Amino acid sequence: MLRAQRGDPRAYEELVRPHEEIAFRVAYVITRNAADAEDAVQDALVKAWRALGRFRAGEPLRPWLLRIAANEARNRRRSAGRRERLALRAALTSGEAAPSPEDTVLDAAQRAELLAALDELSDDAREVLACRYLLDLSEEETAAALDIARGTVKSRSARALDRLKEAYGTRA
Amino acid sequence: MELERELGALAVEWPATPHFRLELARRRRRWPLVAAIALAAIAAVFAVPQSRGAILRFFDIGADRIQLVDTLPPAQERALDAGLGVHTSVALARVFVPQLLFPPLDPRPSLRRSGDVVSFVFSYNGKPVLLSELRGQDYFLKKLVGNETNITRLRVRNEGYGLWLTGKPHIFFFPHEPARLAGNTLVWQESGTTYRLEGPGLSKRGALDLAKSLVNTP
Repeated sequence: MLRAQRGDPRAYEELVRPHEEIAFRVAYVITRNAADAEDAVQDALVKAWRALGRFRAGEPLRPWLLRIAANEARNRRRSAGRRERLALRAALTSGEAAPSPEDTVLDAAQRAELLAALDELSDDAREVLACRYLLDLSEEETAAALDIARGTVKSRSARALDRLKEAYGTRA
Repeated sequence: MELERELGALAVEWPATPHFRLELARRRRRWPLVAAIALAAIAAVFAVPQSRGAILRFFDIGADRIQLVDTLPPAQERALDAGLGVHTSVALARVFVPQLLFPPLDPRPSLRRSGDVVSFVFSYNGKPVLLSELRGQDYFLKKLVGNETNITRLRVRNEGYGLWLTGKPHIFFFPHEPARLAGNTLVWQESGTTYRLEGPGLSKRGALDLAKSLVNTP
């Protein structure tokens, strides 16, 4: 971190490389468009580099990066002015492989229905659930990415789960 | 609780994560320029006679340093758009160069960025022209000029003075790129930003008119 903050671009790239995937996925949840998400993260990584001098050493890097990437993604969503579907698919499981305990929770059709129900939620509800459960972000990381307080993450998640239950119930 | 568990257990097919090319330049500080000038001055005083002729003189205009040399090193001709860096949006380009200028063209030329330098190539009077823009005054770009290249000081955009390089091609060093031969070039500084306009068929009048036509909005 010290090397990166002193202006070493290689050190910075080593620092952020492990977080690029999660940043891209958070951006994708917000923009719902892979090209916009890519642009958002590309720009975010450069902006983070330029702001690195203001980053407080000792703080976790990932929430800080996610905040910048999500902010870029929101800007792109606003300027694009379109509403796209999330277009997420549940991963297919091999017919030959033994089903994992996770796979036994829902079958393929139910998983697709659950994702479709998630997609029908409002942006706020969908984003908080995607961050918490699909991306497995902590409350702190979700709060940073969505630019809300940690308490709001809890309350918004609870409300979003209720809505998802209703939407999924009507589909199932 | 059950729904949370089901959500958490969903394996999702995410789009493939792209490879991000950051193209970052080492962050610059002001002190290296001061140090470089001081070192150059000391070197000039103590230079041994046989090496004194290598660099006859240098001067800076904005972030561009022009060195007059008695013998130009070998360099190749390369396309104007070679090595300009990654494609970038106007919004991000403005992070690097807040005073970004564009020719009044529709559609707007596609922007590229390498380090802190934003560049684009466009057509002017049917010939390609390269405009590179860079904020700050720390020496970053470099030109080697032999005695067959003419340098003229002139007024640009009614804002200040610039330099017009014409005659035999000079050698241009773009960050992280091999040296290349460069044709007629206008360099000027304005509002803390260095602008470099290069076109092999560009005339002095054409370069000044083009510089004057540049605008802040694409």
